[in-house]
Amino acid sequence: MSLWHIAWSYLWNRKFTTCLTILSVALSVGLISSVLSLRQELEKRFAEEGQAFDLVVGPKGSPLQLVLGSVYFLDSAIGRTPLHVYEDLLKDDGFVEAAFPIGLGDTYGGFRIVGTTQGLLDHKWEGMSGDIRTPFALAEGKTFEAPYEAVVGAVAARKLGLVIGQEFESMHGSIEISEELREFDHADRPFVVVGILETSGTPFDRAIYCDIESIWDAHGAGHGEEHSDEGAEELDWSNSVSAILVQLHSPGQRFEYEGWINENTDAMAVVPIQVISDFFQDFLDPIKGLMMGVGYLVVVISALSILIGLYLSIMQRKRDLAIMRALGASSYEIFGAVIIEAFWVTTLGIAVGWLFGNAVTYLLGLILAQEYGLVITPFGLSSEEIRAFATVALVGLVAGILPAWQAYNGDVAHDLADRQ
Amino acid sequence: MVMLEQCRRRLGPGATFYCEHFHAEAGEHIALWGPSGCGKSTMLNLISGLLRLDSGRIEVDGVEIHDMSEGQLDQFRGERLGFVFQTFNLLAPFTALQNVMLAMRFSDTVPQKEWKSRATMLLERVGLDHRLHSKPNTMSVGEQQRVAIARALANKQRLIMADEPTGSLDPKNAKEIMALLLEVCTEEEVTMIMVTHDRALAERLPKQFDCVGLVTEGES
Repeated sequence: MSLWHIAWSYLWNRKFTTCLTILSVALSVGLISSVLSLRQELEKRFAEEGQAFDLVVGPKGSPLQLVLGSVYFLDSAIGRTPLHVYEDLLKDDGFVEAAFPIGLGDTYGGFRIVGTTQGLLDHKWEGMSGDIRTPFALAEGKTFEAPYEAVVGAVAARKLGLVIGQEFESMHGSIEISEELREFDHADRPFVVVGILETSGTPFDRAIYCDIESIWDAHGAGHGEEHSDEGAEELDWSNSVSAILVQLHSPGQRFEYEGWINENTDAMAVVPIQVISDFFQDFLDPIKGLMMGVGYLVVVISALSILIGLYLSIMQRKRDLAIMRALGASSYEIFGAVIIEAFWVTTLGIAVGWLFGNAVTYLLGLILAQEYGLVITPFGLSSEEIRAFATVALVGLVAGILPAWQAYNGDVAHDLADRQ
Repeated sequence: MVMLEQCRRRLGPGATFYCEHFHAEAGEHIALWGPSGCGKSTMLNLISGLLRLDSGRIEVDGVEIHDMSEGQLDQFRGERLGFVFQTFNLLAPFTALQNVMLAMRFSDTVPQKEWKSRATMLLERVGLDHRLHSKPNTMSVGEQQRVAIARALANKQRLIMADEPTGSLDPKNAKEIMALLLEVCTEEEVTMIMVTHDRALAERLPKQFDCVGLVTEGES
């Protein structure tokens, strides 16, 4: 029969209003929790893949578009870079460990076809938690060895129903086209599936990989076509790439080599992890700030609901509190019991809110995985979330002080005589 | 056991309580009798320390309570006083057993390991062995007052303050509850001070104290 039990019994005795108060706290905490966990998980996912390559080299333009288009396959290529830039990079033993050309432009069933070299599918790197990441590991089949052989990412294969040995025809660009324009499809040069990747939970699951010569061949060499991605310059497809993914001997060389390329060549080099970090800082952080602001506003409203709920409850049970005083309870115990009620409501609100927020994150994660191949893992508890929850708990306890003070200062004789 | 000497307490604009002398021996059962507003409940509140004196002296069980701090009064009430109210004043969220144990919770008189067994024993004593886990709203008014009597004895109190204990009961229940109250107080050798406006009820106790005139209009 502790004060905790007494406080809980009174909350339980008015279940409906207690649940409503807990719900209001849970909504605010859920909003904060989902914003924080979604933002953190997204940044983690982007950072993991951002670490895959030290540099991305491509035509001058938007660094963010270059990275989103060539590392995450989320945007269209910004143009084309002469092939000799790639060849020059391969020769630069002092800095370059490996370089992989990326040829974009075609799609199949809404999934990008990425022309590259076999080396990309062998690429592995150390993830942020120290594990070796191998998103291009084969689940079945083999890697591409000849033009028009395709290795399909796990999600693409599942969604498109592609199996080993199956043929498919690529399509220019990334949007559906009308029947009249079908003549521009590469219907006469079908790809054949030779391998399917394991699920990696990365954007790499949502692409189809082939030898870059297939892309060159499909866009001109022997075909006589000249077309480009949206906004891309007109270049000879057999002598250009959309981007080059570069692995340096050491990550410490990133900024030095980035600067050298930008100053001494016509191409643009960017450090993907830096671009992503800037993107989060410049674009997502203000949104996060706004959402957090809304969350904390709801916290204040919830605190008011705790205050009003407890205050009304204290007013209704002044007689009960007076009885406890008559039974020997001290003013401090009465104060403590009311504060504990505020604690229960706030703590349960935080717990329910955390579950609610992470459930929302989980559902949004399903959409992100479906649409962008970004697999996020909610139901974690970051230090930022712990700080936010501590703030909510503090606000909840502060909201309990006024009702507790009211109970502490009750006129016992008067309240006992009040035969309501 | 209880002594009031020249106790004065201002009750509000133009109303003052004054008791020249009141005395109750240990084990005595006394009725404070008088009509509504005569000051009998005020006297009960002064004896229990729920109201403070403006002047005078109150001694209960050998302890001068008029000089006690709030904390000392809380402890004093928990350990030495038991209350039986007209409206029972049981706490709704708790069962009969828990209501009795709650009184022990706020006092150090009974060791925690004995709370349950003592509360059970007391409830059995007042004839509620079948209602241990019932909540007040499921019990009859007579049963609720029996729980209140058991609660008033929870901490082996020396003094029970009963404020119109049968005021909310039908005649049959009133008779039974009054008999029970007298019986347990006699058995436990507990002093009882009972407030009532019912002259007939007051006369069931061996000693009466006429409260008429304790509260006077105007400054005195």
